[in-house]
Amino acid sequence: MVNAFFLPNSLLSLIGGLVALAVSYFAHRYGRVAGGSFLRILSLGFMLLGIGLIAQASAFLFFFLDAGKISDRGVFVYGGTIIYLVLQSIAYLLIAVSYARRMQTGAVTAATAGVVVLLQNSPFLIHTYLLEFGELVLATLVALIVFQALLVYEDNKNRLSLMVLGAFSAILVAHLAKLSSSVLASGLLYLIGGIIELGGFGLLLLFVLRSGPDGRN
Amino acid sequence: MEGTEKQRSTVRIYLDILKAAEEEGNAKPTRILQKANLPHDRMMRHVSELIKRGLLNEVNNGESRFYVITPKGQNFVKEVRRAESFLSAFGVSL
Repeated sequence: MVNAFFLPNSLLSLIGGLVALAVSYFAHRYGRVAGGSFLRILSLGFMLLGIGLIAQASAFLFFFLDAGKISDRGVFVYGGTIIYLVLQSIAYLLIAVSYARRMQTGAVTAATAGVVVLLQNSPFLIHTYLLEFGELVLATLVALIVFQALLVYEDNKNRLSLMVLGAFSAILVAHLAKLSSSVLASGLLYLIGGIIELGGFGLLLLFVLRSGPDGRN
Repeated sequence: MEGTEKQRSTVRIYLDILKAAEEEGNAKPTRILQKANLPHDRMMRHVSELIKRGLLNEVNNGESRFYVITPKGQNFVKEVRRAESFLSAFGVSL
């Protein structure tokens, strides 16, 4: 039963991480041509997201291969979860900030900063409900990104903007599903969240492929 | 962002000059001036930079002078168009 949970989640996180790294690579590559800080911050955000997901995949894979032999699983789970949550939080924060800076929406920047303050001032919450609190922070940050992606799409009605909006909306639903899975202690719901998240990363990959070859939008 | 000259980035100006050279084949300075919508001195400064980077070649046949885009310049145009497309998804222009 334990293996049935860890292997598919490991694969989902690994694929998602690779897609995030691909987006980071293209943001970096185009940033070299176009200049400016937007693409550099975006590239860094997706790089951290990719590394966070691959770290999570490695932890799941470690459990799958070594199930039952680890003496202190608690420490491993705690450490692995902290790395995954911190990297993803910084990643989504960077993506949200780069969007907010582009749009110069003070309210969104303030809301993003508010999430950080909340993180710093909630040691009890973080310690007691680490996974739930982390998923809540991630969902809040992704919600900010979705809101800004929606504003961009409303402005330009661009197909590529719609893909980015769809991708982050799916990632938001995935984090809400993962949060619910923690509350309801449901492994199946976590797996469903992972599948939805992969769908979101699939849309991001489609966006990169569509924007790449001949620069269509 | 192609409105006023102030708002145009250097990359956008490079793109406009190279596109003019690409469309014309052998582009005379006046055609580049028209298409890139730049004052002569600024255009020449940017053209010199593009030649230095190997993106544009100056050809002088005795009677007239014209500019030709290099293969490296063509790749640059493609890459900038891709970047432009990528950026547009986030509501950012060059």
